[in-house]
Amino acid sequence: MILKSDYHSLKSCAGKINKSSVKFFSLLMGLVCSFALAAPTTSLETVTTIEAFQNDVRGTITDADGIPLPGANVLIKGTSTGVAADFDGNYAIQASAGDVLVFSYTGYNSFEVTVADSTIINVVLEEGLALDEVIVTGYTTESKRETTAAVSIVSAEELAAIPSGNVEQQLAGRVAGVTVITNGQPGTQSQVRVRGYGGFGGNEPLYVVDGVPTQSVAFLSPDDIATTTVLKDAAAASIYGARAANGVIVYTTKQGSRGDRKTRISIDINSGVSDPNVAGSPKMLNPQDMADYTNLAYENNAAANGTPVQYTHPQYGSNAIPTFPDYLHADGQNGVNADQVDLAQIQANYEADPENVFLIRPNLAGTNWYREITRIAPQTRIGLGFDGGNENGRFYIGLSLQSISGILLANEQNRYTARFNSEFDLASWLSIGENLQVTYNSVVGQSGGNGGQGISNDESEVLSAYRMPTIIPVFDDFGSYASTRAAGFNNPRTPVRRLAQDRGDDKNFSVSAFGNLYALIKPFEGFVFKSSIGGSYFNFNSLDYNYRYLGDSEPQASYTFAENSGYGFSWTFTNTITYEKLFANKHKLKLFAGIEAIEGTNTPTTPSKGRIINGSGINPFSTDLDFVTLSAVQSPVVQSFINTGVNFSSLFGQVNYNYDERYYVSAVVRRDGSSVFGENNRYGTFPAFSGAWRIIGESFMDNQNFFQDLKVRVGWGQMGNSNNVAPANQFSLAASALDNTFYPIQGQSSGADEGFATSRIGNPDAKWETSTTFNIGFDATIIDNHLDIEFDWWQKDTEDLLFVVPLAGVTGNFASAPSRNVGKMENRGIDLRVVYKGNFSEDFTFEFAINNTFLKNEVIEFAPGIDFLDVGGQRGINPTRNQVGKPLSSFFGYDVIGYFESDADVASSPSQDGAGTGRFKYRDVDGDGAITPDDRTYIGDPVANYSGGATIDLKYKDIRMEMFWNWSTGLEIFNQSKWFRDFFGTFEGSAKGVAAFKSWTPELGNSAAAPIWESASNISTSGAANSWYVEDGSYARLQRLAFIYSFSDLIKNSNTLSKFEVGISTNNIWTISGYSGLDPVVGGDADVNFGVDVGNYPVTPSYLINVNIGL
Amino acid sequence: MCALVLGISCSDEFLEVPPAGSLGDAQLGTADGIEALLIGTYAALNGVFGNRFEGPNHWITGSIMGGEANKGTDAGDYSTINPIQRYETDPTSGDLNNLWRGRYEGIARANRVLATIAANPDALIAADAARISGEARMLRGHFYFDLQKHFGSIPVFDETVPAEEIILIPNSGNAWAQIEADFQYAYDNLPAVTDAGRVNKWAAAAYMGKAKLFQGKFSEAITWFDDVIANGVTSNGLAYALLDDYSQIYNAENDNHAESVMDVESANNTGSVQNANAFDDLNYPYNTGPDGPGNCCGFFQPSISLANAFRTQANGLPLLDESYNDPANAVDNNFFWVVVDGNDESTFVEDSGPLDPRIDHSIGRIGIPYLDWIDFPGSAWIRSFPYAGPYSPKKYIYYKTQENTFTDGSSWTRGYATMNYTIIRYADVLLMAAEAEIEAGSLAKALDYVNQVRRRAALSEHWVKKSDGSGDNAANYNISEYTAADFASQDAARTAVRFERKLELSGEGHRFFDLVRWGIAAETLNTYLAYEGQFLVTKFGGASFTAGKSELYPIPQAQIDIQGSDVLSQNPGY
Repeated sequence: MILKSDYHSLKSCAGKINKSSVKFFSLLMGLVCSFALAAPTTSLETVTTIEAFQNDVRGTITDADGIPLPGANVLIKGTSTGVAADFDGNYAIQASAGDVLVFSYTGYNSFEVTVADSTIINVVLEEGLALDEVIVTGYTTESKRETTAAVSIVSAEELAAIPSGNVEQQLAGRVAGVTVITNGQPGTQSQVRVRGYGGFGGNEPLYVVDGVPTQSVAFLSPDDIATTTVLKDAAAASIYGARAANGVIVYTTKQGSRGDRKTRISIDINSGVSDPNVAGSPKMLNPQDMADYTNLAYENNAAANGTPVQYTHPQYGSNAIPTFPDYLHADGQNGVNADQVDLAQIQANYEADPENVFLIRPNLAGTNWYREITRIAPQTRIGLGFDGGNENGRFYIGLSLQSISGILLANEQNRYTARFNSEFDLASWLSIGENLQVTYNSVVGQSGGNGGQGISNDESEVLSAYRMPTIIPVFDDFGSYASTRAAGFNNPRTPVRRLAQDRGDDKNFSVSAFGNLYALIKPFEGFVFKSSIGGSYFNFNSLDYNYRYLGDSEPQASYTFAENSGYGFSWTFTNTITYEKLFANKHKLKLFAGIEAIEGTNTPTTPSKGRIINGSGINPFSTDLDFVTLSAVQSPVVQSFINTGVNFSSLFGQVNYNYDERYYVSAVVRRDGSSVFGENNRYGTFPAFSGAWRIIGESFMDNQNFFQDLKVRVGWGQMGNSNNVAPANQFSLAASALDNTFYPIQGQSSGADEGFATSRIGNPDAKWETSTTFNIGFDATIIDNHLDIEFDWWQKDTEDLLFVVPLAGVTGNFASAPSRNVGKMENRGIDLRVVYKGNFSEDFTFEFAINNTFLKNEVIEFAPGIDFLDVGGQRGINPTRNQVGKPLSSFFGYDVIGYFESDADVASSPSQDGAGTGRFKYRDVDGDGAITPDDRTYIGDPVANYSGGATIDLKYKDIRMEMFWNWSTGLEIFNQSKWFRDFFGTFEGSAKGVAAFKSWTPELGNSAAAPIWESASNISTSGAANSWYVEDGSYARLQRLAFIYSFSDLIKNSNTLSKFEVGISTNNIWTISGYSGLDPVVGGDADVNFGVDVGNYPVTPSYLINVNIGL
Repeated sequence: MCALVLGISCSDEFLEVPPAGSLGDAQLGTADGIEALLIGTYAALNGVFGNRFEGPNHWITGSIMGGEANKGTDAGDYSTINPIQRYETDPTSGDLNNLWRGRYEGIARANRVLATIAANPDALIAADAARISGEARMLRGHFYFDLQKHFGSIPVFDETVPAEEIILIPNSGNAWAQIEADFQYAYDNLPAVTDAGRVNKWAAAAYMGKAKLFQGKFSEAITWFDDVIANGVTSNGLAYALLDDYSQIYNAENDNHAESVMDVESANNTGSVQNANAFDDLNYPYNTGPDGPGNCCGFFQPSISLANAFRTQANGLPLLDESYNDPANAVDNNFFWVVVDGNDESTFVEDSGPLDPRIDHSIGRIGIPYLDWIDFPGSAWIRSFPYAGPYSPKKYIYYKTQENTFTDGSSWTRGYATMNYTIIRYADVLLMAAEAEIEAGSLAKALDYVNQVRRRAALSEHWVKKSDGSGDNAANYNISEYTAADFASQDAARTAVRFERKLELSGEGHRFFDLVRWGIAAETLNTYLAYEGQFLVTKFGGASFTAGKSELYPIPQAQIDIQGSDVLSQNPGY
């Protein structure tokens, strides 16, 4: 291939060196050059060693790290004579002195050298600028220069910089067009969306790791990742056809390098702590304020009802001025003073029955329950990498240990990974290789659906910290956990005990293996046949112990034990052929075709093929953990389940052609069959066409200096999605279920007989969702290579959306309804990435990169006659309505226009159930003079209109500073945690927030932060979703600020050390947001229901030390 | 595997993955399969979707709404009940939607049984086909009856109507014809004696009488009730009779007793507490610790006026003139003592006036033994005294000695018990028969029926005794039978029988539907709200029952949204 080399300048990085030190020096050069990458204006020339004059020129082409570049091209300039390097990067070419050899390789700057008096020319190619980066599509690779599609690449360094349990979290803000919503729970899965929300469910992108598709990359260690490529539009992704509609994220893991050289070792250590940010947690009323405001509520109740005031709280006395008792609870007595208590008797009772006797004093200083359930949480990740090889092969071994403690007590993730990648030549035309990873993963104390995504929607332990009254101490006088056994505080449970006791002993782990074996056959020039068989296997086991505890007002009466276990297995068999040829020096043709079979794979909504068994029981004879098993419990219940996974069978092909590296066209087609569909609609075909014009290659661009590169791209294509469909969708079935088809038909009082009921209605006619995307974009480099711009405007229309149309109740709707192809969705957006690189001085360089994602999402259609879909809800507050014409998961409820200021105001306003002075006053949307359910309206949505990330890297001599921000705007959060905190009447007696101070009074009027402080609960107070809960969810977060020092002198003077960096980084230390909750990043476990904050697990600041050593 | 390398010829086979863990029509069209589908239909009796409104006892829609009890607990807990108990029910209520879905799911299951029998004529011998069809139709009739009494206008169809037509059937009529046909078929085809958990022909007969009564077909009702009273036996072969001990009706150890005409079976160790009266799991006193049952959550607190209704005159008869709420007659309670009069609860003095002994089998009151637990301690077991009043439920509560033997301890609260809820019990049959006799038969027979019920209540050896072992009655119980003079007029007899239903069947889910069919719901419940609202001001202040609207529950908006307002029309006033 020919690369135009005149569009960027090369500058000498090193001169000639003597033969004996080539090896070390090239290693060192790689290091130096890689540092210099941050400052491309000091671009590098490659190292060459020219030894003698001969006609037959030979040598090795490697990258800066000494890794051979198989397939690299060598061409005699001005001729069509060229060769490609072999697997080891070796080449040989007939050339005469004076010929100019052009060395090129995808993703690297090309390099020219004039043949002089040497026969051996070893070339080190420098990694290229952005436009030369390698795009790994999973099946093939191409350079960014060549691509006609919308793709984004994230460097391994960028990824590894963010400490997190899962690699996908590290994409947040790094890629234009990708949004990531995550929470602070270790090991949690994130909501990753590429270019919006294509459907009503299953919008997770497809992940491809070393060519094997998967649904989660939680098993990967960041240290093992070599490249991350995000395929965004159809032109790029439709090679994955039916699974591509949500974007494809392709990971490759590190490979070793060929060549006779020393095995290299890298050691990466990240260690530090997370701070739960107690100061940032919502403020709760202290005991005195809580008592005062309890009595105020009694006064307000009496005024509202026209009755005398009754001060009836069991702890605060019966007068207007509250008093505190000596004991909140003393063995059954509540709110008593010392003289009413027989301590000796209570002590005796305690000794007789310690589980059931409590002696609780008030904690008048106030317990900060958020502080009590959190901790400064340590985290560590240690990665050890070995890569090496010889002329006939290469290998990489990666070992990684990650231990992350959550800020919540007892919440932690431990993950150990071992990766072994290798490739060996059996013949000059045949290589075999494998990528294999084994992962042990253990996540204890995780809450929330969908692998932790849904925690914000749960009534989690974080919420319980805001429900537990501050007057209750953590422990009582006997050292037992204190809780709401003390009367008057309603039903919160002590979260400290639940975390420490019920979670402390829980165990779980999964062991998984993931990888592939492959053969590469290269019988003649330009032709590659690859056959790969990959697979994924996992099994898991978990133990859950919950302890009897009688101190809560709603106590846990039994010791319970549960054990779960299961496995899953799927495989992927792929065969591909690639043929690449340059004709007449100008016509480059690349043909690619493949066939793939996948059995038993998982999807975002379906586990992979396998079985699960679980059991539970209560009250074993002993609670000794070495005793408790399912055989030792009472009332054991055991269940097991079969998962079938999904089978796919696919054919695919691609044609790429370019003329003179100016005009590019590409066509892709894939035909997929899936087992989830009936035979009528089993197959789908997904085409894509795209083209690009590299304007910079035109002769008329020769005489301008403004652009160093300019390319426009246009693409159209179709992609499919079948995630939102159950494997048995096509079948009508009946099943039994312990909870609602069993019945004790003999009249027995223990045990029940099995019955059956319709469990699924089949739809044999379901077919793929189809997303049609149109993408137009350009890539430009301007200002002397300082500024790169990647711009894409795109539109994605999804049709035949698979939607579970609700069954009418009259037909019986216990059965699962099938997915039907009925809905339509539209997403439009702009992805914009701008990178500016430069230097202030020779020693002081910088790089600014900004990624921008503009998104508009709109539901166009659900199903005939259905305009909306209501989902979820807690405590009678149902804020989420997916409706036509609005983004997914929009908020829906009454629009609060203020508070009723008087009885007269109530009387003169539209009639409203529960209306009263100081309560919410709603907008009469339909103007009929009455507030009815018809007056509920759209009140916000959680889909960010604009999000992005910015990197600011500065380097001065050996010191680097890296700063990374990310942000989202144009979204709302439904802060339902206010329901628990900001109304007196919601679980009256439980802890309340400082909104009480600003609850409605005649003086505050509409500037009040909450309705009048009272017990009433109806739609005018706490009984309905309304706009009062909706808050602006915009934020900007300094996600990372790091300082890194490289010991370059040490490296230069060492024979073994190739890298030695020490850094400190702070993460999430500053969030700019108007949101009143702990964390403005609020997810959810489903796309039709997210952005509701009931008890989110916050992302909090962390502080880390990083050490990176290369040997 | 054959498809892998080259061919796609057999990829169709590769893509055919049979479903796992479920059965198709073929397996279910057998004798065992049909029997299993029938059991699945029975399982719908206590609800399918885990919503407490689906419970067969209708503690909210039947009892609370009938003024026998209030939600209890506090304002924030299960707050979607708040507007409902104030007769401000919103059609968007998810609870009512679940009630609708749960009952129609039961109908769908019954219909599947019947359709499967029809589609597999050789699967069953004739006797089994008749029996199973009879059970399925009996259950379907029950589900329709439930829907009818809640919603008034409902879509009606049988097993021959396909799903795509069912969704087009408007709710323009009532289900009585279908209900009667189902009960008639069940009566004609069911055996008298069968498994204790199954319905039998006498259940069908009693339910038929009830259906006639609800339609005002009093003389037909008499015919059916006469048959039941003369010949009826339980599924396990016991001749229908009143138990001597009123409290034993609600005791799990006594399940499938002679008074049980139709009940819902409950059991523990089934793998799910849904089979153990899960609909009642909240309906226990609050924060009792191990001294009391359940521990949670303080719901379903009997009303103050219900307790007052147990006041008797010196002659042992109730205050039929409704004067029981007068301050002079109202039952002394610790709410009045503490909240109204400002006294210390520990100095509360028990009411010493005459009371119907059933009060202490029905209502947890301070100072009275709470089954075999401790004496009810008063506000300590009440979640929010000012919000919900002084009482706790006492029927269908398990005993201390039954913990973990007649309860299922495998879930978050202890309140999953295994006593069967009785949908129709023999005392109910007698009182319904008495009603029918008053309207279309003999006042003397009505008097006899009512007095049978009162005579049982008057068996003093079964009255609640003090816990001190003295054998003394826990309160001043005083009950006697009506005389012929008391039943001299139809009006007087009618008043007495209706009052007796209130006393005998309190908290069992009948009251609201009784008031509606008697046509006195608005006046009765507005009187109730005015009285109760004086005390439970946060709960009931300003609430009212709207005549012409509140008698029926709204058709769930969610269903109208799915089926269209051209198919399902909303009930008046909503």
